[in-house]
Amino acid sequence: MNRRVRLLMVLAGGAGLAALLVAACLDMPGFGGDRHPYGDRAVHESLARRTANTIASVNFDQRAFDTLGEMTILFGAVLGTVVLLRQTRDERRAAPRPEDVAPPVRRYALAVLPVAVLTGLYVIAHGQLSPGGGFQGGVVAATALHLLYLGADYRALERIRPVGLYEVGDALAASAYLVLGLAGVLAGTAFLANTLLPYGTFNTLTSGGTVPLLNAAIGMEVACAVVVLLARFLDQAVEIEEESGT
Amino acid sequence: MDDPAVVVALLLVAAAATTAVAVRDPVRQALVLAVLGLALAVLFTVLQAPDVALSQLAVGSALTPLLLLLSVRKVRRRQKQETKGEPE
Amino acid sequence: MNGWTTAATLTFAGGVGATVWGVATGPLRRRVVAQNLSSALACPGLLLLAQGYGRPAYVDLALVLALLGPVGTLVFARLLAEELAADPPASPWATWCAAGFAAVVVLVLCAATGPGRAMVKLLVTGALLTGGNLVASRALAGGFPGGRRG
Repeated sequence: MNRRVRLLMVLAGGAGLAALLVAACLDMPGFGGDRHPYGDRAVHESLARRTANTIASVNFDQRAFDTLGEMTILFGAVLGTVVLLRQTRDERRAAPRPEDVAPPVRRYALAVLPVAVLTGLYVIAHGQLSPGGGFQGGVVAATALHLLYLGADYRALERIRPVGLYEVGDALAASAYLVLGLAGVLAGTAFLANTLLPYGTFNTLTSGGTVPLLNAAIGMEVACAVVVLLARFLDQAVEIEEESGT
Repeated sequence: MDDPAVVVALLLVAAAATTAVAVRDPVRQALVLAVLGLALAVLFTVLQAPDVALSQLAVGSALTPLLLLLSVRKVRRRQKQETKGEPE
Repeated sequence: MNGWTTAATLTFAGGVGATVWGVATGPLRRRVVAQNLSSALACPGLLLLAQGYGRPAYVDLALVLALLGPVGTLVFARLLAEELAADPPASPWATWCAAGFAAVVVLVLCAATGPGRAMVKLLVTGALLTGGNLVASRALAGGFPGGRRG
């Protein structure tokens, strides 16, 4: 296929996409209108199952199967990174020299680390009540751990971060999501159906049936996945060097 | 579209996103991306989508810059090693 | 639109708009300062929005930004230490102005909400934001004197 044919194909595909997008835009409801057929139904269902945050109800109840797919994408992406960024035979590890950090910066990092981890857990725990949830809280908690790298040095981070454990945690959390889904099948309803547990009292930490459990599984999965992902990037950027003379 | 907050947020996103494309150096691009993430979070908030805004803040403010800058450092380290190894 | 959302809109248009300009042009030392200021200004804006929409749950957004915004600046300070040591940024004036603005916004919102758990959350957010941004600004101006090591 030469350059000309390729250009023509791109142009044809682009024109088709543009035509479809324009057609869709012409048929869209007005911006900021007050008619939301899908939203009304989602809110109704979410209130029926006593989940205060409708988004959490959509993510972990009404569309829990989609979330399983999203979780698998993250899992697969991290798995791919782990394979691609492993230490190859012509590379060696060089221990990084400790970094000089100004005392106020070091103190700030060490003081904010526990606050940030706690905030991450808070965002996960309140996923079905207020904005937030497993993904957001997991990312916050995992990012918080890396304050040790920013405020101290890489060796300090490595001491509190056994990557193997986080890899196991990632896999366990992903399986927990699946097992919770299968439990629905065994209970006689459907995969990931929210019929296992009582719905509880509206607007409390345990309301919403299986929603808080699935949310917690996602939180653990995302936190572990981000830690493993950053560990691979940090290894490559800080420790692994190519063998000289090859 | 009659809410000025939505208009301001959309303009901020448009300006930051255009800059992110126009800037060519990856380090400076990472800086623009961090600000673009904030503008997007503001846009999602004024459109009453706080869950999405929170995701954007969590990923965009520290995680993305860290991944980008670590990649830049790895590439530069390799370049430095190659230039150092040449005279031998 | 009410007074709170108008104030938030002005903050975004003036403050965050200026930082978009700052991060888009000029030398690296100016861009990193603009990145630090962007979170210092957007966070009070988000707090004002939460108050304007009457949704206390939106304060979580500002809390997460107050925690992670300075962490993002620390990432740049740490990994660009070598470049920044050659041309250190110094911006005490702008940084203190942003910190003062955040403090004023938090205090006004505290007065509007009244004592209670919501006020404690606002104060924690404000303390994390101002403290974090001042430390991040310090980190940019030579917080990692060893340059690029580990």
